[in-house]
Amino acid sequence: MTSAPQGDVAYNVTYTVSDRTIVCPGGTFVLDAALAAGLKLPFNCRQGLCGTCKSKLLSGQYDMHHQGGIRPKEIANGLFLPCCSRPLSDLVIEK
Amino acid sequence: MSNDLRALLARRKPGYTLEAPFHTDPAIFHADLDIIFGRHWIYVGVEPDVPDEGDCMTVDIGPHAIIVARDDDMQLHAFHNVCRHRGARLLHTAHANVGNIVCPYHQWTYGLDGGLKFAAHMPADFDRSCHGLRRIHLRSLAGLLFVCLAETPPADFEAMAATLTPYIAPHDIAHCKVAHAEDIIEHGNWKLTMENNRECYHCSAAHPELTRSIFAEGFGFAPVGAEAEAQAGRFHAMVDTLHAECSRHGLASQEIDHLDDQITGFRTERLPLEDAGESETLDTRVACRRLLGNLHEKRLGALSLWTQPNSWHHFMSDHIVTFAVFPLSPETALLRTKWLVHQDAVEGEDYDRANLTAVWHATNRQDSDLVGKAGAGVRSSGYRQGPYAPDTEALVEKFSAWYVGRMAAGIDA
Repeated sequence: MTSAPQGDVAYNVTYTVSDRTIVCPGGTFVLDAALAAGLKLPFNCRQGLCGTCKSKLLSGQYDMHHQGGIRPKEIANGLFLPCCSRPLSDLVIEK
Repeated sequence: MSNDLRALLARRKPGYTLEAPFHTDPAIFHADLDIIFGRHWIYVGVEPDVPDEGDCMTVDIGPHAIIVARDDDMQLHAFHNVCRHRGARLLHTAHANVGNIVCPYHQWTYGLDGGLKFAAHMPADFDRSCHGLRRIHLRSLAGLLFVCLAETPPADFEAMAATLTPYIAPHDIAHCKVAHAEDIIEHGNWKLTMENNRECYHCSAAHPELTRSIFAEGFGFAPVGAEAEAQAGRFHAMVDTLHAECSRHGLASQEIDHLDDQITGFRTERLPLEDAGESETLDTRVACRRLLGNLHEKRLGALSLWTQPNSWHHFMSDHIVTFAVFPLSPETALLRTKWLVHQDAVEGEDYDRANLTAVWHATNRQDSDLVGKAGAGVRSSGYRQGPYAPDTEALVEKFSAWYVGRMAAGIDA
């Protein structure tokens, strides 16, 4: 979560409940890539405010810029907001 | 109804219990919620209910659903717990920790300062700044949280806070934690719960655990019988000794009573305890090894605080017990009790929860039983107003007089 997202790199984002793996470019928000690929995920504000897209990350690194839609305790418990997070590695998400 | 209520208030006989409709009539209950609970400072909880950034507490005062929130700058706010979109209740648990307050219905998203930050699908000319959460007045009195639902709250709160802060502040509520809390539904009108609290006429028969440590004399009771004078003398000597000792520790202790002579009525006094004199426990010794704030002396008796219309509190050197009463229906009330210890005190090492809570857990149940009996009696056709004992139930009379006075003032406002 320290290095800047790489625009020219793409990562595999796997959704375990939907059983889908989607390619997400390094500079793209995880939610945007999923929606573009036709995945139906809960979301609303797309700016890290409302927390509707909050998801459990099973593995991987990301760069998140939220606006209060998630608490530090929740992040410590493995939750993140796909709407305002870019991948820094392959991700596995429980959704 | 207002004419009936006006007549009932006008003919209230000082020194006597309230007539039955005050404890049973739905219309008077709604008038209580409007005039008493809607226009006065109501005690709702303590700062340790919301210790961290993003902490929220919900409280229902009759139909008034309230959120108390602590923002990321540690400032406290109170709002109506109602979405500005289609009115859904926002928070549903007693306590929550959130980044923003998000409506579960359509995800309208409010900051911890109440401002509306996000509302999907609203047109371009929708003004978010006009749709923030509706604010409620909130004050912290040295860590005790009071709200007022009125647009213009009674102005005398600040004077009460200035008077009481030197009494309460040394117990350092802000650095306490809630070690235990319990809610009891009492089967009587909220005023019966308050009246029961305002006297210790019933204490010796009803409260064997509580009377191991407290003196009924501190709660308005006048001793009777051949030894009455000596007993009263002994109690007053103990009060004087305790106040002198506490004064040496820089603690305010003297009795102050404004229960029935101002809008925001209150009373306080630091009272001695039996035997070891340390705490309201079964053995009269501290229940928590870690004392509150910077206190070093265990034997400080118990600082009592009473506020109109809905609270009482006992502050000792090692723990605090704090009580709030909320009306639920004409014939039921919620008694919410919290036990506070220093935030660094460790359960099982510094205190034993069962020992900490034993006295008031038992006392609450005994009181609840008595309130239920009073409730059952006043709803019976045979109930007539009864006289308060002038020497022992003076604080009950002050409660009833305050209530009648505030209702009479409010009904015409």
